[in-house]
Amino acid sequence: MSSSLFNLGLKKFLRAPQLEAKLAIKVLMGLLFLYFAGSFLFGGIVIYPALSKKFPEQDAISIINSTLALIFIFELIIRYFLQQLPVTEIKSLLMLSIPKNRIIRNVLLRSIISIYNAIPYLFYLPISIALFKDDYLLSQAFTWWVSLMLLSLSINFITILVNKNNKILVGFILGLILLFVAENYLKIEIISLAGLFFDSLLVKPIMALIPLSIFLGLYSVTFRFLKNNLNLEGSLAAKKEVANAERYDFLDIFGSHALFLKNDLRLIVRNLRPRNVVMASFLFLFYGLAFFPTLEHQPEFFIPFASIFITGGFLLTYGNYVPAWDSEYYPFLMCQNLSYKRYLDSKWYLMTFAVVVSTIFSIPYVYFGVDVYLMILSGAFFNIGLGTWITLYGGLLNKQSLQLNVKANAFENTQAFSGKQFLMILPKMILPVLLYLIPAKISNSTLGLITLASTGILGIVFKNQILNQMVRLYVKEKHQTLKAFTQK
Amino acid sequence: MITTNSLTKIYGDKTALSIDRLEIPKGQCFGLVGNNGAGKTTFFSLLLDLIKASTGEIISNEIVVAKSEDWKNFTSAFIDDSFLIGYLTPEEYFYFVGSLRGIDQKEVDIFLKDYLDFFNNEILNQKKYLRDFSKGNQKKVGLIATFIGRPKVIILDEPFANLDPTTQIKLKYLIRKETEDRELTLLISSHDLNHVTEVCNRIVLLEKGSVIIDKETTFKTLRELEDYFSV
Repeated sequence: MSSSLFNLGLKKFLRAPQLEAKLAIKVLMGLLFLYFAGSFLFGGIVIYPALSKKFPEQDAISIINSTLALIFIFELIIRYFLQQLPVTEIKSLLMLSIPKNRIIRNVLLRSIISIYNAIPYLFYLPISIALFKDDYLLSQAFTWWVSLMLLSLSINFITILVNKNNKILVGFILGLILLFVAENYLKIEIISLAGLFFDSLLVKPIMALIPLSIFLGLYSVTFRFLKNNLNLEGSLAAKKEVANAERYDFLDIFGSHALFLKNDLRLIVRNLRPRNVVMASFLFLFYGLAFFPTLEHQPEFFIPFASIFITGGFLLTYGNYVPAWDSEYYPFLMCQNLSYKRYLDSKWYLMTFAVVVSTIFSIPYVYFGVDVYLMILSGAFFNIGLGTWITLYGGLLNKQSLQLNVKANAFENTQAFSGKQFLMILPKMILPVLLYLIPAKISNSTLGLITLASTGILGIVFKNQILNQMVRLYVKEKHQTLKAFTQK
Repeated sequence: MITTNSLTKIYGDKTALSIDRLEIPKGQCFGLVGNNGAGKTTFFSLLLDLIKASTGEIISNEIVVAKSEDWKNFTSAFIDDSFLIGYLTPEEYFYFVGSLRGIDQKEVDIFLKDYLDFFNNEILNQKKYLRDFSKGNQKKVGLIATFIGRPKVIILDEPFANLDPTTQIKLKYLIRKETEDRELTLLISSHDLNHVTEVCNRIVLLEKGSVIIDKETTFKTLRELEDYFSV
């Protein structure tokens, strides 16, 4: 039974319209996955000996234990945003004579096979082996590992519950806030208290019953929750929202482009996927905080690199998928009284608007010196003048449709991401670094700034010529793009 | 209004459409019928330059469709779901289409008043996004939006499908009114022989990409079509 459900999944993959593209993506993602898996494994192998060496007077495992609660919270957040649950495909199975319990068991089983559940094996298992090699008993090391694995799986189920139920989500957010307040202001150290619990696992193996019962409890709660909601009105139905009637009149200052900017803003606000992506692009603003405080110790090429990131977050995240965001109704746009020129121009304004807004938000970086802010500013000029066009060109190469109101998934369901596009990110990153570094090396950093900024300004001056060229490229690819976007 | 010359569309070794010459005069209501796979949607997609013709060309109001974008000024269409923007409310969608055709919100509001009966209180002021409407109601929005700005050419693929019986009858009335009021070239395809013979003054029957019947509609047309399809 489970194998025939598994077969369905396999067929879905093999018979997808763009198998080749998908395979390439899978390979790319596979490499990315190997990288992360390797990092976890490496971390797991190295951390215990490293800690023992650095803090010889303390027990390394209790240092690890005292941060485990934080790791679990972090894991939950990552999973909430990225882990896609295999719930939606069972709609068509409901009418068949498969017992409900079996369908749900299959869903839960499939959720366990997710790669997010490989962390216990990659990270905790090496630690527990290190424990055993140290002077702990096999039973102790094993209990510790099994308990952590059970807790990690429990988080898997919590993710399902939180995803499907807003009340539980609100509960968790409140819980996190309380935890934060307690930890920072009330001096109740819950995270280190949790550490004591993990320590006790090593002393009294009987304590492992607690994670076990948490795991079993959550399994049955999730099971019952899905069972009660496994109908077309419950968790399978698409959520219906009350439309927000915001008119975004403040965008009218952009004149004839306001129409499109308003639509793009609605697209971002009202759809799950672009909303998440734009929120992520906001984080890029803080990228500089990782570099500028230790400016003297950074290699020189990091400075233009970081500056481009600060104002270019939107280009890298949202901009990369530019025509694909409109893929659901691309045929409609192609039949409207709307020339490619006007369409692309409006997209240019959208991205420019985002760069300008991030440039304004990055004013506090003046704190690290006027030089730093001038760097950001010239990076912004580059982003507006050239970065936007490179982004639009990269978007043209992207021939994958994109579902708007579906959560993006880091590994399994990566729509609209191709190797070619990945390559288009490179000029956006390397070109500005070269534009800054070469003149800076020949003369001084001021000349580097001027070169970078003036390249951007040139892009703005010759905007019309570049736009016309871009229109020509887009028109040439029109039918290809349409064909790709109408394939689901 | 629209002329096609030796138009073909070939996928691999399969000919999806092959029409020697077809002329659709101004003001005609042109009905396209045929079984699944006959090439109806292919034909419409070619007219809208959504796919590229293998050979031949389409001239709409003296504009070569594949070469210039100017036909978009006077043409509108509703082919399928992909002609709706799911995250907009119906009002926002109408305003968007309106402003693309140079019509401001107030004029769109006045325009919509004529269709309140067609909407049957299920479309406007619902505080819902288009993606959350039923198929039938989505279709109502898409169909009416094609009338905004009085385009000279309107192309509708299966306008009657998914609509409830009352709305189907109202749509027939609407189409007749629209084509009588002004010189509108309307192209529709349908599986409903009754409806299509009732509203169209010319019927073209496609089969495997070729024109089998091309006739002015008379009282006998429905019988002829039924005979053809009942084989």
